[in-house]
Amino acid sequence: MTGTELSIAITGAGGAGVISVGELLLQAWAKEGGRGLLRKAFGPQIRGGESAALLKLTETERYTAARQYDVLLAFDWNNFTRFGDEIRIARDALVICEPACDPPPEVLAAQPRLLRFPMARLAADTHAEGRVNMFALGLLGRLLGLPLDSLEQLTLQKLKAKPEAYRHAAIACISAGTTQAPDCELSLPKMGAKGAWYMSGNQAAGLGALEAGVRFVAAYPITPASDVLEWMAGGLEKLNGNLVQAEDELAAINMTIGAAFGGVPSLTATSGPGLALMTESIGLAVASETPVTILNVMRGGPSTGIPTKSEQSDLNIALHGLHGDAPHLVLAPLDIADCVFTSGWAVNLAQGLQTAAIVLSDQFIGQSTAVISEPLRCESQVAGAQDNDNDYLRYRLTDSGVSTLAIPGDADQRFTADGLEHDEKGTPSARDDDHQLQLAKRARKLTTYNYGNAWARVQGNGQVALVCFGSASAAVNEAADLLARQGINVRTVSLRLLAPLQREQLTAALEACNTVFVVEQNHGGQLFQYLRGMMDFNQALHSYSRAGPVPLSGHAIATAVAQEVTV
Amino acid sequence: MNLIAKAKPKDYKSSVKPIWCPGCGHFSVLNALTKAFAALGIDKDDTVLVSGIGCSSRLPAYVDSYGFHGVHGRGLAIAQGLKVARPDLTVIALGGDGDGFSIGGNHFIHACRRNVNITYIAMDNEVYGMTKGQASPTTAADWDHSKLTPHGPGVRPFKPAALALASGAPWIARGYSGNPNQLARLIAEAVEHPGFSFVHVLSQCITFCPEQTDWKAVVSEREAPALTDADAAASLFLHENGFQTGVLYNAARNAWPPEQVERQSTDITEGFRL
Amino acid sequence: MSNQQLGDFLAHSVELESEARERYLELAQAMIAHHNTDVAGFFNRMAEESRLHLEEVAEIAQDIELPGLKAWEFGWPEEESPEAVSYEAVHYRMSLRQAMLLALENERAAEKFYRSFADASSDGETRHLAAQFSAEEASHAAQLEKMLGKLPPDREHHLEEDDQPHMPE
Repeated sequence: MTGTELSIAITGAGGAGVISVGELLLQAWAKEGGRGLLRKAFGPQIRGGESAALLKLTETERYTAARQYDVLLAFDWNNFTRFGDEIRIARDALVICEPACDPPPEVLAAQPRLLRFPMARLAADTHAEGRVNMFALGLLGRLLGLPLDSLEQLTLQKLKAKPEAYRHAAIACISAGTTQAPDCELSLPKMGAKGAWYMSGNQAAGLGALEAGVRFVAAYPITPASDVLEWMAGGLEKLNGNLVQAEDELAAINMTIGAAFGGVPSLTATSGPGLALMTESIGLAVASETPVTILNVMRGGPSTGIPTKSEQSDLNIALHGLHGDAPHLVLAPLDIADCVFTSGWAVNLAQGLQTAAIVLSDQFIGQSTAVISEPLRCESQVAGAQDNDNDYLRYRLTDSGVSTLAIPGDADQRFTADGLEHDEKGTPSARDDDHQLQLAKRARKLTTYNYGNAWARVQGNGQVALVCFGSASAAVNEAADLLARQGINVRTVSLRLLAPLQREQLTAALEACNTVFVVEQNHGGQLFQYLRGMMDFNQALHSYSRAGPVPLSGHAIATAVAQEVTV
Repeated sequence: MNLIAKAKPKDYKSSVKPIWCPGCGHFSVLNALTKAFAALGIDKDDTVLVSGIGCSSRLPAYVDSYGFHGVHGRGLAIAQGLKVARPDLTVIALGGDGDGFSIGGNHFIHACRRNVNITYIAMDNEVYGMTKGQASPTTAADWDHSKLTPHGPGVRPFKPAALALASGAPWIARGYSGNPNQLARLIAEAVEHPGFSFVHVLSQCITFCPEQTDWKAVVSEREAPALTDADAAASLFLHENGFQTGVLYNAARNAWPPEQVERQSTDITEGFRL
Repeated sequence: MSNQQLGDFLAHSVELESEARERYLELAQAMIAHHNTDVAGFFNRMAEESRLHLEEVAEIAQDIELPGLKAWEFGWPEEESPEAVSYEAVHYRMSLRQAMLLALENERAAEKFYRSFADASSDGETRHLAAQFSAEEASHAAQLEKMLGKLPPDREHHLEEDDQPHMPE
């Protein structure tokens, strides 16, 4: 069981600073040994629009979106209905708001404990520069039992670039919020975890890549991948690497290929529309056997779609979007901490197998911030090709399919990498054998490599299996817990490696199952179609696919499974 | 006599033989490039030629250095990524007018603006040769030899030098395939220029534009030293006939990226530990 | 004491002959790729002639220090060295006659170049050698003229063809 959870939504508009409250609260909570997740939701305005900080405080690191909120603190109710899909109020929730404004009917419908509290006035009374959000931070900190000095210290650190009077006001308001907070009963999750890290999935993916050796990134800004780049820009500077903001995604992927050709492990990050633009050149990386990693942070599609919301709908393009026969790697991190492992693994595999690796992260894990234990790193490295022949052939046909990769500067191994089909030397060729042999070589190096146990996370041992990929893992495992409470034992298979599909391992993982649900966050059942096309299943196969923008819900999955299984 | 010690132009040629039409200007560019390499004493192992797609983009395979024959229009992007990641290498991008000014046009103007220390040789024959002679961005408006545009493209051609200047290129030269020795000098100077250097080469297409054999009569070497003033260069590039050769523009501008300074902290995880 | 004029002359001569040789080989290769074997064969023979001449020059130059001139520092009367057939003057369907005419033009250009070098030089040895080379080029030209005389005239439209060009990429 997952223990007690407490979900808190903080909403407001016009630059009220709700996100900062969420961040500081979660950091202070983590410092006390708590675990939790922070998601953010925004209106379409760049500044001053309605914002929501969505906190979920938990006892484990299995982070799903909160199903409903136990606490809602609203600075105002402007456009609150925008969040109607996301912020559902629990029955008996604590709703804290200004006395002057009435909550909208959908909030009142949950019959909450309504606490009308003049936060804005009290903040203004406290200090001439007083801010209501800092007052709220103190108030919520008190409700969560967080030490005042910890809140103050974290706040001063965050506001270190602000004017002194501004910082004084913040501290004064936090203190006032703490002392003036009313007494409210809240059932708090247990704390006591040690060694907290605090990071978003985008940062985690960036960290995994840099730790795996990436020293060059070229990319074009796109939501929700831009913050990967922002973090990596600083990280690369520390490591004497380079980040180039390219003129478009076509340039980004090709700069990445160029740097990789120079022997520098390289990555680009993007989202669906950018991935679509890159696909021609990913084919070039495959054909020329240039190692590149493409971190694709999925959002609602197609086209501009819903850029700020999550979806797992780029699986098809990642698997099948390249022209020609272009075997490549597709991986998906299972949660925020796993972004470190999976992006590192992708870089290692791309480097070792000399191909393109597409990593399918998404907005949900990419832009959510979590408190986690120190993340696991990927240690596995692909062994290099052994080429003892004096006559260097860049595309030598080897048993493993992997040939020795020379880089410019290496003495006497000069070759021209080519997107044209070529012979072993690299000379363009339209001959039948060269095409057959090179195609087979590029396929072989991916299919014969032993990927070990990291291909998936397999949990439980029921006769019903839930198969998913990437960030759906948390919701699927939550569903498994809920089903277990109903007496339905479920095993879960969360695929980390999607291509090449580890068919034998997946078949073994599903042994003795009679029912398989393929769970994913998209409309068309892309994983379901893929698995059905790639494998024979002895089990009854069901698809549970639900598109964004609302995160996958373990409860909804459990309900659907229970209905099917108990019929 | 000491002719052996130094590498000669032909030593820079690979064993792959060109498939260009006899009469093609690109042979001359290959010749000039190898002459420039020989004159500079370039180390083959530390040199990379990068190209896109098209007749001219076949060139890297014909040179005994490292090479990358990429996809259409993206050679400049590959070259810049490579040079930023490996500043120790000599990186030369090359390609044709369609590759560089049409499908790769955005990369061209941004490469001029970004000023990474690479050389870009655009072999301009005003036509798409690999796809049977369609009009390119530098084809005259009334050139009606292509079935695709039977009345001519009907739109004004780009002026590559003017485009480069407006985009911020610090060093611009023009050469001609009929004069490979001069072109060799231009390429050598381009490679030595510490920033983005653009060599626009008028390189005739014997197959689709046989009328370009007349270029010989109109091409002339510009005697005056390279302009350093952008206004004067703009005036030149907008009003000249496009057949003047030589180093036309040379303005001092710092290349990008600047040299890295040693960092105090190399711990990239510090921000994550609470 | 080194003879500067002689060194300069020999450097030009070495460059002229080696460029001629390489150019003929290169053009022969291009003709082979385009299946014009007659012209390819002729260009290869011309390359061989140049090789022989180059050997002769190299032997003379053995103990003489030659100036290390860059490709663009030679004093050629035209853009290229006189005996290098212009890359742009050939065509894949060119006839043997056209190829010979081109070669003849270049032999004459070389003859003229050597002769003017001889005329302009104040050094006896240089004048002697340049004149000798000029005479050799003249004799090559005469041989070519003789061969040309035996060739049938070209058909007027032999460069035309029925098929359209291909689309390789």
